[in-house]
Amino acid sequence: MRHAVALVFMMLFGIPSYAIDGTALLKEVDRNLNPESYESYRKLINVEPDGRKKEYTLFTIKKGMDKVSSVFLAPASEKGRSTLRLGDNMWFYIPNVGKPIRITSLQSVVGGVFNNADILQLDYAAEYNVERVEQNGNEYLLYLKAKTKTVAYDRLKLYADGKKHLPVKIECLTEANMLIKTIYFKDVKDFGGGIVRPSVIETDSPLYKGYKSVMIFAKLKARILKDEAFTLTYMPNIESLR
Amino acid sequence: MVLVFLFSFLSSLFGVLSLATAEEYTFDVSETEKKPYHIGGYAEIRPVLFGLDRDASLYKLKFYNRDEGSTLEEYNATLQLEGSLEKGIARLFVRTNTDYKNSYLGEDFETTVHEGFLSLKPSSSLTMDVGKKTLKWGKGYAWNPVAFVDRPKDPDEPELSLEGFIVASADYIKSFQGPLKTISFTPVLIPVYNHVNDTFGDINKLNIAGKIYLLLYDTDIDFIFLTGGSKTTRYGMDFSRNITTNFEIHGEFAYIYNYKKIFVNSDGSTFVTQYDAKSALIGMRYLTEKDTTYILEYYRNGTGFSSTEMRDYFSFINKGYDTYVATGNDALLKKAANITAGNYGRPNAMRDYLYLRASRKEPFDILYFTPSITGILNISDKSFSLSPEFLYAGITNLELRLKASFISGERLSDYGEKQNDSRVEIRARYYF
Repeated sequence: MRHAVALVFMMLFGIPSYAIDGTALLKEVDRNLNPESYESYRKLINVEPDGRKKEYTLFTIKKGMDKVSSVFLAPASEKGRSTLRLGDNMWFYIPNVGKPIRITSLQSVVGGVFNNADILQLDYAAEYNVERVEQNGNEYLLYLKAKTKTVAYDRLKLYADGKKHLPVKIECLTEANMLIKTIYFKDVKDFGGGIVRPSVIETDSPLYKGYKSVMIFAKLKARILKDEAFTLTYMPNIESLR
Repeated sequence: MVLVFLFSFLSSLFGVLSLATAEEYTFDVSETEKKPYHIGGYAEIRPVLFGLDRDASLYKLKFYNRDEGSTLEEYNATLQLEGSLEKGIARLFVRTNTDYKNSYLGEDFETTVHEGFLSLKPSSSLTMDVGKKTLKWGKGYAWNPVAFVDRPKDPDEPELSLEGFIVASADYIKSFQGPLKTISFTPVLIPVYNHVNDTFGDINKLNIAGKIYLLLYDTDIDFIFLTGGSKTTRYGMDFSRNITTNFEIHGEFAYIYNYKKIFVNSDGSTFVTQYDAKSALIGMRYLTEKDTTYILEYYRNGTGFSSTEMRDYFSFINKGYDTYVATGNDALLKKAANITAGNYGRPNAMRDYLYLRASRKEPFDILYFTPSITGILNISDKSFSLSPEFLYAGITNLELRLKASFISGERLSDYGEKQNDSRVEIRARYYF
């Protein structure tokens, strides 16, 4: 009898959340954030507790689910430095050093709260499986679990707008559910070409109390790119694609 | 602690200045407009204080006829300029390096073109370069035994830009789906004639080098060769791979045919031996949860000297010095100086070395502050150098570094016979 009651309750309250296809929703969130292949400009701002800022400007290209590359345009001390990500592989090229070196996703080439995985973000669906979805009013909460151990954050709690299917907030967690950082998506803007998405991403972290990092997007547009642009050999030349 | 205070003070000072102009986060898209040209570079000043080891062989070799006391000051300044001009598929790039040095020898001023080449990019798969450039082959951080077409880098400053050679090279890249994601081929021609690359090796030769790069099963793999006569034929391979999100491994192997080694015994008799030399490097980079990065490398230098050969060399210098003190005749010391240049005098001239660098990102909650410590151990004779440094890059385009080096070793050992016991330097570098 108790089992039958439980079954009725599950049917009444459980089905609505499981009825949502989490994987399809996550893929939709990815596509709403940006086209599968695109170019964009970004400004990264690291803000210290006293309000002091340090800014970086990057040109970024992405192709498919797992290829992304960026080159620093400013400040002068960083100009020409480029980063490349192919799936779990990441490299950093410094013109003076003259050769790409492998870096890891948890490091940060710019300091501040954003790490390399944040700066070279792939599609969420490329790195995470959807464990479950909850619908709370006009908001979805997607519980994401990393597909492999090489992904920077083991778990994500992705809060998505129920209508626009765009992320509002993402909590990045360790395997033990410890909060590493929170990413906020703000200022939805029409970039043209059907791309309407948040133009500002902010992040803070209990590990960096008082610090904040901000990423502002500009000139985001779909672009067809050759696979060869996403190779180590091409890293010194990424700026030629601008 | 004093440093922490100093950096905190600087942070506060510049913080006040930027607060005065605090504003909302804006991104002016005019910043992203592309110009066909670029001019930039950096200027730096670097005063150095050396603590001399007056009993060391290399001190005697350099200062036998002068007394510079127990410390030596040196004032260095560098201006590195780079410029590029881009039009269509063509790009011209030049990087020059001007060094000013004021030392016990007086003033010295030298400008070198580190790189200057024309690059043509007819497609995203093909790039062709002609001119002076550095190739920087190899995966090692401190050493690169497979960098056959580069000048040797200084393991104490592995990130400094180096002067290149005049070459003609191409890069052909192809990408695939599947376990083999990328393959690229880099053929290189290195002419060596009078006034053209004449420090590379024997002159009047046209040398050919090449590199095949594969990204296979998430592993970078290079196969490398050099032949042509200026240097003996040599082959190499290297690899690099991320094991986890915070752990990377890399390695290099070089096989040099008929390597010619010139060495002296303690009497000063010169010997030449020829053999196939095998050099190797294995290393790792590891990032801890507390944001400390460790770089560990073991280097087997197949072209290096044994402990006995090195002791003979130092003993010969000491003999030359004793002769000079007794008779005023410096002929033996001059012979020792001749055999030092490019041979015993190259960085890490012996056989087995261990390199460890630990750098901690932003401790004490000071953003952009990175303290590091680097140790290089000569495994054969247990002599070593230890270099702590503090880097602060919190002010846009300005990099401040305080670095010290302490070396230790028994008499007739690699580091024990260096001319300095210690070194302290401050470097301020401004990028523009």
